[in-house]
Amino acid sequence: MAANVKQEPVEDTDLETRVLLMCHQNPEGITDALIQEDMPHFDVKQRVTAINRLLSTGRIDLLKSSSGKLIYKLKDSSSQDAVKGSDQQEKVVYQIIKDAGNKGIWIRDIRFKCNLLLTQVNKILKNLESKKLIKAVKSVAASKKKVYMLYNLEPDRTVTGGAWYSDQDFESEFVEVLNQQCFKYLVQKAEAAKETKVDPIAQRNSSYASSHDVWKYISELGISKVQLSVEDIETILDTLIYDGKCERSIVVGAGDSDKSKKLYRAINPVIQSTGLMRMPCGSCPVFHNCYEGGAVSPTTCIYMKDWLQL
Amino acid sequence: MSKCRTYLCKAVLKEHFGDLAEKICLYMINKGCCHLRQIASETELPLDKVRKVLTALIQQNVIKFEKTKRGVVEYFVDIDVLLWRHRIPKFIHCAKSLYGDAAELLVEDIVYHGQIMMSKAVDNVTSKLNEALENAGHQKIGSSIVHDKFSLLAGSHFIRQCINGMETSEEELDERDQSTLYRVPPLHSTGKRKRSIDDSEQPAKRQKTDAPGDDGIYWKINSRRFHQYFRDQMFIKAISNRIDKRASTILQTMLRLSEVKTDDLCFTTQPLSFTEIFQAIPLDAGITRNLCEQYLTLMVDDSTNLVSKIGESGGGMFVVNIMKGLTSLCKAHLESVVQERFGSKSLRIFKVLLLKEHLEQKQIEEMAMIPSKEAKELLYNMFAQKFVSVTEISKTADHAPARTFYFFRVHMDQLARNILENCYKALANAMVKREAETIEHQ
Repeated sequence: MAANVKQEPVEDTDLETRVLLMCHQNPEGITDALIQEDMPHFDVKQRVTAINRLLSTGRIDLLKSSSGKLIYKLKDSSSQDAVKGSDQQEKVVYQIIKDAGNKGIWIRDIRFKCNLLLTQVNKILKNLESKKLIKAVKSVAASKKKVYMLYNLEPDRTVTGGAWYSDQDFESEFVEVLNQQCFKYLVQKAEAAKETKVDPIAQRNSSYASSHDVWKYISELGISKVQLSVEDIETILDTLIYDGKCERSIVVGAGDSDKSKKLYRAINPVIQSTGLMRMPCGSCPVFHNCYEGGAVSPTTCIYMKDWLQL
Repeated sequence: MSKCRTYLCKAVLKEHFGDLAEKICLYMINKGCCHLRQIASETELPLDKVRKVLTALIQQNVIKFEKTKRGVVEYFVDIDVLLWRHRIPKFIHCAKSLYGDAAELLVEDIVYHGQIMMSKAVDNVTSKLNEALENAGHQKIGSSIVHDKFSLLAGSHFIRQCINGMETSEEELDERDQSTLYRVPPLHSTGKRKRSIDDSEQPAKRQKTDAPGDDGIYWKINSRRFHQYFRDQMFIKAISNRIDKRASTILQTMLRLSEVKTDDLCFTTQPLSFTEIFQAIPLDAGITRNLCEQYLTLMVDDSTNLVSKIGESGGGMFVVNIMKGLTSLCKAHLESVVQERFGSKSLRIFKVLLLKEHLEQKQIEEMAMIPSKEAKELLYNMFAQKFVSVTEISKTADHAPARTFYFFRVHMDQLARNILENCYKALANAMVKREAETIEHQ
């Protein structure tokens, strides 16, 4: 009997270490069923005491998974340090914000997740903010929406809007300038190709510029204060395609990389402006109200008069 | 028929044929097929006046007629022919630039008369030319020169014989008959030998009256052939804009080779082999075999899809994709309309929609890189003027706006039709304005 009593704590610590080990192997968390499966020789009582001890010493966390089951997760030692000295509620909120990563989390969602009152959450957030543990970032998607994330994180592109936003405002002028500069580069390239190459095909091929080339050109120009990525330049070049000023072709990377390269080149428009638009009727704002004998009519039209210089 | 088209018909009728014809034709356009008495009674005009107008317009190919099963002759307006009358100056200019002054006068004379016998037209033109030549102190020319021009025009199908509507209809003609439409009868002075059957039957009578050798064969303008020519010129211009002059020369050669061979409404031209194309290129264009090959590849790769390669035989078989070419030109024109009417940023949105078909507003903003507020304004402006349309897809049956996706897209066909209507109206407006100005300054 005495031997049994003595043995129990030993087995308990054994169970604890095994649970911790399992948590370590499964960072996503483990369920009660999983523990039971792994260690069938421990009964429910033993499991409960082991887990309770782990929870009270703050080595694992008890969380609710998306499917509604309870899961146990290894507690982060870093978060442990950061919120040291704060109370349980603060720890919970901090953990929620931490889980949201660099995408941030909205205050409403925090409330739903932690089931605390709004005033409480507000107080906690203010507390954490003053401790410089978290920060509030304004999202570009909705200007009044604040999202919270850890203080040391760089906000995600979806939150800041990437290079094209400064203080939640889309920098359309910046985009326009880049658009024009990219086009200028492509036109220069096409002209150079026309002068140096005789063969029409060689002419076309050398008028192509890869997005990397354009990126290099733009970086060297130094018009941008922020560092642009090649992908950023590609979005700009795509707008040139939509403007009908250039076309894209894709070549498979030769040898050194399997990544296909995107090539762009300036193209000439097929037509000059269409006939309809060369007379006032084409862009007339009251075109549909215009009829013979009406308030607006071709015989009394002032646009026509200007156009014909009567 | 649309309101704008009728409006344009009205303006054309008034300008070309006067008020009476305008009244009668407008009635006929609204009614469709109708017989003589019906027209007279409904328009409250005397029968003989209506008859005269109809005769004149039938002569001008604007009004057609057919016999119904009950034996009544019904008249109707050929609206296409009526609207094509705008293009007459272009037809005449085209004839002049292709075949010179005599051809210009010939086309002018044929258009003026609507339908005319070759001998008459040749006579008219010869005398007109001689008059001008005499005034300038040059020597007279013979009618055979004009006749040669006439043969050239007929040979390239710019003019064609009329067929008697009471005997055969256009649809009944098979291919062989089609080719006889362009056969030029010999001029009376030189044609005696060929008309040997007639000569042997009544030689005496012919000598006396000097009946023209082409009695009963009337000629008219073949508008469709002119249109085909204009269309080809459009393609050539487009390629010249897109690639360069030499590429357009090659395309021109391809179109010229298939000009008379292919029907004007087919989707692609007859296949042409590389050798065929290369040999037909004018020598002074300075295009070598290698260059020609390269340009053809360029044109095949071009986004207008005007030229395609369909086989490898004979150094590669190529066709001109008429339909695809017209579609991309049409697109270009629509884009031009958007560009001029709404500005470059709207054009960007428009093109994003053209390329990606269905898009939500948010996606459009992102792709076109236009701030949300501005994009909304531009997009809704185009939507208000029916340049883009919206498809609603609701998640629930109640179509609540919060639970509905709104997809924007461009309906090309619909938009093209709309723009065509606008063109009709703009053209009619210009005509009305011209009319008003002339009256004012008389």
